[in-house]
Amino acid sequence: MLGLFWENLRISLGSIFGNKSRSILTALGIVIGVLSVTLMGTLISGLDRTFEKSMSFLGRDVLIISRMNWFGGDMDWWELRNRPRIKEDYGEQLREKSQFVAAVAPMSERGGSIIRGDLRTDTRFFGTTPEYMATNESADVITGRYFTDGENRSGSRVLVIGGDVADGLFPNEDPIDKYVKIGSHKFRVIGILKKQGKFMGLFSLDNQAVMPLGTYQRLFSRRGWMNVRIKLNTENYDEAKEEIYGIMRQLRGLKPMEKDDFAINQSATMEAQYKSIKLAIGGTGLFITALSLIVGGIGIMNIMFVSVKERTKEIGVRKALGATQSMILGQFLMEAVLICLIAGLVGMGLAGSLSLLINQFFPSSMPVGLAIGAIMLSVIIGIVSGLVPSYQAARLDPIDALRYE
Amino acid sequence: MADLISLKEIKRHYDVGGEVVRALDGIDLTINHNEYISIMGPSGSGKSTLMNMIGCLDTPTEGVYEFEGELVHEMDDNQLASIRNRKIGFVFQTFNLLPKATALRNVEVPLIYANITKSDRIEKAKKALISVGLEERMHHKPNELSGGQRQRVAIARALVNDPSIILADEPTGNLDSKSGVEIMKILDKLHNAGNTIILVTHEEYIADHADRTINLFDGKIKEDIRSAKRKVGA
Repeated sequence: MLGLFWENLRISLGSIFGNKSRSILTALGIVIGVLSVTLMGTLISGLDRTFEKSMSFLGRDVLIISRMNWFGGDMDWWELRNRPRIKEDYGEQLREKSQFVAAVAPMSERGGSIIRGDLRTDTRFFGTTPEYMATNESADVITGRYFTDGENRSGSRVLVIGGDVADGLFPNEDPIDKYVKIGSHKFRVIGILKKQGKFMGLFSLDNQAVMPLGTYQRLFSRRGWMNVRIKLNTENYDEAKEEIYGIMRQLRGLKPMEKDDFAINQSATMEAQYKSIKLAIGGTGLFITALSLIVGGIGIMNIMFVSVKERTKEIGVRKALGATQSMILGQFLMEAVLICLIAGLVGMGLAGSLSLLINQFFPSSMPVGLAIGAIMLSVIIGIVSGLVPSYQAARLDPIDALRYE
Repeated sequence: MADLISLKEIKRHYDVGGEVVRALDGIDLTINHNEYISIMGPSGSGKSTLMNMIGCLDTPTEGVYEFEGELVHEMDDNQLASIRNRKIGFVFQTFNLLPKATALRNVEVPLIYANITKSDRIEKAKKALISVGLEERMHHKPNELSGGQRQRVAIARALVNDPSIILADEPTGNLDSKSGVEIMKILDKLHNAGNTIILVTHEEYIADHADRTINLFDGKIKEDIRSAKRKVGA
């Protein structure tokens, strides 16, 4: 049977390369199909890994108590607007009342510019407590130091800046103990945060600055937007969340029938949101790109019908010489599969190099499984679209086929 | 020795637009080993149908066809393919070579379907090509060969599996007379070497090469003449 295999391979290659322009045009459909499917898959998997990486900055074991839900609030905006603010001391109360709290950090945040001489960086800065570092595993001071409890209480004008801010304001010098201005207030830079990269490839996590909450409240706003970060000491997030939820309702003085006027956000809610978006975009994308593969398959089927028709006489001769139906079937099936396989490899090669290009702007890289899957998919398309024409060839009556001109 | 081929009451009817065409209408025929037969008859007499029947390309509507003891009329497509591959060598009027393959590869084709190893295949194919005098042209493609040479390649291809019969359908029909004579010489030589040859022709002088001439008319055997004297490779 090996002899037959090589013979079929030789015939198929002869047929494919004997009709170059026809083969190229036919294969193009599959090339485009495989290219779009692989590229789509590559982008989705790139998105996944970015998301995974970005999630780590939020921390899976961190709850963030805010006035509003990050996602999916079905409440009217005026109701949300009337919610009372989140108070700074919720953190301490939760620490006292809940058994699951490892660390708490109230945070107030706003946007603004940091100025140093002629240089200026638009950024976000927030005030928090020294405990913030304990609630955020991905945050770390690489140069200098973080502020102290004393500095927090006394409202010292000290600033810990993100990597991007440091690069922007201090291109060629050490920022430590240098002074910058926020509005008219002068701050001393005491530390630089480790770079974390971009969140989902969208905005930089390094473009930020941290100051003591005491300072923030004194200089900017006592009643501003406040979140409380809670780091849990358990992996049983649901139970912990349940308990904290109960305590929060109690702190808010809500009666049993009253609606929540606060939100507990966590990375899981973002993850759930992301998954549903991914499913919608990825599913639709893959479906649409798979359609192009099907169109490519139809092209293959069409050209195989032509090929069978053209070679009717040859089929008759081969049958007269003793080729069985399955041998003829194999010959044409091989041809269809071979076109698809070559097209699949080309498409995958293109997708691979394109994903390298895209990687310059958006994280993407082709997973090996996807590559193997794409190749297998193109082989399957070859089989499926080659089957009917090949079967037709195999079933030809040898006498009719021999007589065919 | 048993008969090589035995046809009993063979009928082949076609249904053409609701009308039954009796292409073969009760053929009784026995062919022995090493016979040299020509089948003649006007067009429409059923000689092509009879050739397809003997060549196992077709099966009878009615009747019994035995080929070396195997019951051809009961065979399915795969068995027919197998018996064609093992026992029958076809020579066609239009040569029917594969245009993109060299002479050697053309001759190899039946051996591939017989699942013979590559080295054996090449050896046998070369031997067959040498036996028809084409040792110099083995690696030429059909379009680089003359008509006579192409038909010789076809004969080599028919011979290569050591078939029980060689079926030649108007083997000289597409050739000039000189090439035709050469081809007939080769067939005569093959017969002298012990092969059974069946010629289908409408040319009297071609049919004269055979020892036995079967004349068909309206799907029936009109005459079955055995020449008294055997012509020796003219």
